[in-house]
Amino acid sequence: MLNTIWMSLIAIGILVAAGNDVADEVRNTYRNGIPLNAVIEVRTTPSALRQTWEGDLVMAAADFGAFYGIAPPPEAIRQPVSIATFPDGRSSAVMPIGESTPSFWKQMAKSASTGNRLSASITAIRFAEDGTSASVQLLVEPIRFVKMKAVTAAALEYAATAVTIALGLIGVMALWLGVMKVAEEAGLLGVLTRLLAPVTRRLFPDVPPDHPAVGAMIMNIAANMLGLSNAATPMGLKAMEELNKLNPKVGTATNAMVTFLAINTGGLILIPATAIAVRAAAGSANPGMIIGTSIIGAGCATAAGIIASRLLQRLPRYRKAMEAANG
Amino acid sequence: MADAFRAVINAVAVAAIPLLFIVFLGWGFVRRVKVYEVFVEGAKEGFTTAIRIIPYLVAMLAAIGIFRASGALELLTAALAPVTSLIGMPPETLPMALMRPLSGSGSLGIMTELMKVNGPDSLIGVMASTMYGSSETTFYVLAVYFGAVGVKNTRHAVPVGLIADVAGMLAAVWIVNLLFS
Repeated sequence: MLNTIWMSLIAIGILVAAGNDVADEVRNTYRNGIPLNAVIEVRTTPSALRQTWEGDLVMAAADFGAFYGIAPPPEAIRQPVSIATFPDGRSSAVMPIGESTPSFWKQMAKSASTGNRLSASITAIRFAEDGTSASVQLLVEPIRFVKMKAVTAAALEYAATAVTIALGLIGVMALWLGVMKVAEEAGLLGVLTRLLAPVTRRLFPDVPPDHPAVGAMIMNIAANMLGLSNAATPMGLKAMEELNKLNPKVGTATNAMVTFLAINTGGLILIPATAIAVRAAAGSANPGMIIGTSIIGAGCATAAGIIASRLLQRLPRYRKAMEAANG
Repeated sequence: MADAFRAVINAVAVAAIPLLFIVFLGWGFVRRVKVYEVFVEGAKEGFTTAIRIIPYLVAMLAAIGIFRASGALELLTAALAPVTSLIGMPPETLPMALMRPLSGSGSLGIMTELMKVNGPDSLIGVMASTMYGSSETTFYVLAVYFGAVGVKNTRHAVPVGLIADVAGMLAAVWIVNLLFS
């Protein structure tokens, strides 16, 4: 199943990206080869001596929207631009991407020849009498394969993120595994597991109720419910390692592991702190309003996960994967 | 009532980690465990476990990254929206439901955007934040937890995780519609 889903994510991603790029090409979403009319307000005076000058490209929001066939941006366009004139009389413009850049151009610049700016050639220019402004006709560099480039960048970027996440785990992992080891040697987890044995025996019938895995699982679930994800992950991984000691076929998931993961992916949490923080930041009158609804949602997810894990483990195809190990 | 509950849980969450340290280590010390030596012994495993996760996490996140960047989510949303509207799920919240099991940062971004556009106390805002709190990032959890013990054949874990996600999202839609619309 994971093989199929993994392959599908990659294949669908690449095919959709290719499809989107073809659609962009057919619709000419980025108006490649179509000249854009705008006015440049001159900031540094162009002169015969100076080859480059600077200004602001100004354009009404409605005109910009109409040109690209998109919803007009909230404000009129005012984009800094620097213009270079070559000896043969041709001029070209470079628009650095900044805060005032319309988001559509920001998006285009991501796939442009140089990362953080858009270049254009100037096909016509006419200065006003007083020289403070010029009306120009721009041909922005062609933008192609936006999604394909994005897919490539994402694959590389996420691979790097994975390593950052894993390396970031080292410290907290070491801290909690150390504390857990002391608790284990002191026999403290034994007390905890005996207390909750009636529950854990039903949830994990394959795991002896006094096994160290049970203690680690209880700690993980408790930490998750309190929203202490920094502590929950090391404890959960410790639990997986203990469960793996009971695994007859290392490399294959046991029933107990899947049930344990079902509880974890259900994500039952008493205070959804992240969602509350975002709500507060967005100016909610009652950010904590979602505590009750989230508990119900996550409770249903967890219950469905536990039930599904107990039902699906009986399917022949999943049972065989485990039995083949014993034989 | 909800405020009191929140205050209690927050207090417990703040005190929990210092309390665990003192109880676990203190109990060990009283029971004559060589706390420092045993701690270091246990902590040693932290490094190997974290390193062992890397290939699993790279495989998972790279695939999710490709999927996200391609615009496939928008396509899927357009295809599913007519169906999910039937159960009272506003189409705006569909990307949230689809993104939640794939990416924690991605769904956080969608939730923030939905609140900015629709307001945090609108039906869409409440539903998006409830959805965010109703599930974990399933594929991330699978990669990290199975990666730590080198499990490659995950058996029924993926369908179980997805069933839990669907149940969580449906429950979120149901309860929010019941209470707030």
